[in-house]
Amino acid sequence: MSAAAQDLVVEHVFTAYDRADVLVDVSLRIPAGSITCLLGSNGSGKTTLIRSILGLTAPRSGSIALGGTELTRLPTHRIVRLGIGCIPEGRKVFPRLTVVENLVVGAYGEPRREVVAERLERVFATFPKLAERRTQLAGTMSGGEQAMVSIGRGLMAAPRLLLVDEPSLGLSPLLVQETFGVIQRIHAQGVTVFLVEQNVHQTLAIASHGYVLSQGRVVTQGTAAELRADPEVHAAYFGTSTTEGMR
Amino acid sequence: MDLLAQYLMNGVMLGLMYALVALGFTLFFGVLNVIQFAHGDVLTAGAFAGLAGYALVVRAGVQASLPQLLTVVLAATLSMAVLGAVLGRTLVLPLKGAPALNVLLATLMGGTALRECIRLFYPGGSQPQRFPALLPSTAWALGRFTLRLDNLLMLAAGMALVLGVSLLLQRTRTGLAIRAVAQDEETARTMGIDFRRVVLFTFALGSALAAFAGVMNGLYYNEVNFGSGLLLGVIGFSAAVVGGLGSLSGAVLGGFLFAGLQTLGAVVMPFASAYKDVFAFGMVILLLAWKPTGLIGEPLGERV
Ligand SMILES: Nc1ncnc2c1ncn2[C@@H]1O[C@H](COP(=O)(O)OP(=O)(O)OP(=O)(O)O)[C@@H](O)[C@H]1O
Ligand SMILES: [Mg+2]
Repeated sequence: MSAAAQDLVVEHVFTAYDRADVLVDVSLRIPAGSITCLLGSNGSGKTTLIRSILGLTAPRSGSIALGGTELTRLPTHRIVRLGIGCIPEGRKVFPRLTVVENLVVGAYGEPRREVVAERLERVFATFPKLAERRTQLAGTMSGGEQAMVSIGRGLMAAPRLLLVDEPSLGLSPLLVQETFGVIQRIHAQGVTVFLVEQNVHQTLAIASHGYVLSQGRVVTQGTAAELRADPEVHAAYFGTSTTEGMR
Repeated sequence: MDLLAQYLMNGVMLGLMYALVALGFTLFFGVLNVIQFAHGDVLTAGAFAGLAGYALVVRAGVQASLPQLLTVVLAATLSMAVLGAVLGRTLVLPLKGAPALNVLLATLMGGTALRECIRLFYPGGSQPQRFPALLPSTAWALGRFTLRLDNLLMLAAGMALVLGVSLLLQRTRTGLAIRAVAQDEETARTMGIDFRRVVLFTFALGSALAAFAGVMNGLYYNEVNFGSGLLLGVIGFSAAVVGGLGSLSGAVLGGFLFAGLQTLGAVVMPFASAYKDVFAFGMVILLLAWKPTGLIGEPLGERV
């Protein structure tokens, strides 16, 4: 199968919670093997797009397909088992499960114990701290530690495509840098990454291309370099001064 | 002294039945945040399904009491597992997202319908039915206290069930899925967990436990009637709430606590033992005023 055949393609998606559309005619493509980013200010609909892809809030109309398989009619657990992993906004660790249990739940679609154990070891190699805290309840961990649990849990599914929603939220600059490093390493292992972020500098440094969402519409798209120079992006994130933004 | 032992034994038997019923309430509340008020009637239906199974094997000429007993237990638990899943599928899941009150009402009506069906359609269902004594009648006289083997056997089986449920939740893949759904349904689905399957499994499990309690109740009193589950349902619900809805050990604790209160009521007011339920429910109200979220109020980890 060619790489393009495994792309995630969103076409003309409209999604609403109650009445008003939160996503308006959104179309985008996440090429297999890429790091594609989605930028946009608070409330622009980024999380809603991820929820639409996962089937948590099904689109009202439009199509979302992974490698030609239509996702919009499938229940969430079936969508996920096609090879889509998620690191949700706000970590969403299971507070009353231990670290190991949180991680094992992440591999729920994989019935073979030895495969799960193998993935567990790989996550522990990436985050040695989690290995030390195996039996700690995730709810009692610090924000940064919970972020590791959430990322590790997303990896346990061994996804082909990883959806990452604002991983840097609430982390110290050092941890943000570490998190972006981890995402880069995940990508280097062949995982396609869809990265939702507000942290434009670091995001554009690792993404190959991306989209900008504003009030539920895609207003700009392009390569990372194009986006870095784009006035819309500047308006949204860097204030108006172009030179400030480039630093 | 002997009398006290008798009271104690009776209290433990009742406590175990209440705990089994309360476990269902706590499981349903855990995964779906609903109160399933047909649960008591499911218990009754389980006992009657056991009776029907008994009638069938007797008609088929089975004489030995062990296969008869197994038939009763399996007929009760398996049929109620199916019924529980059906109730979950038809009365509870479709109302997901609606106010919790609607589920309460729907299941209350479902339970009433079930109870009336037993009364109207089970042969002689409007009269109390004799429940066969299928356990060995061996008993040991210890002074004025008689220790009965059948009680011990029921205790052992019930305790094993409680332990089994706890192990299932703590040690198995399915148990992990139940706990994940209980804590965060959406994220659980995002991890690849089939939410509906988990809910239906939980309803099947909880209902089978109630059916077992129904059989226990029948064997203990040698009688069941179409209303048996009403009070047991209310008591099981109270036990679950007192223990802390959603907490497994809370349900067990609540069950034994309620039986303890009833026993205490009977002991301290021997002149008015008919009021033991009034006493127990009164104490439950006081307990809730003191600890509104239950004795085991959402401790980390322990809640389902
Ligand atoms: N569950 C919901 N019910 C109703 N409206 C919602 C719900 N979730 C989000 N919205 C609305 O949809 C719009 C987009 O929200 P969304 O969470 O997708 O934004 P976002 O781009 O992820 O923002 P942020 O950067 O703050 O996370 C907002 O106006 C929000 O109020
Ligand atoms: Mg968001």
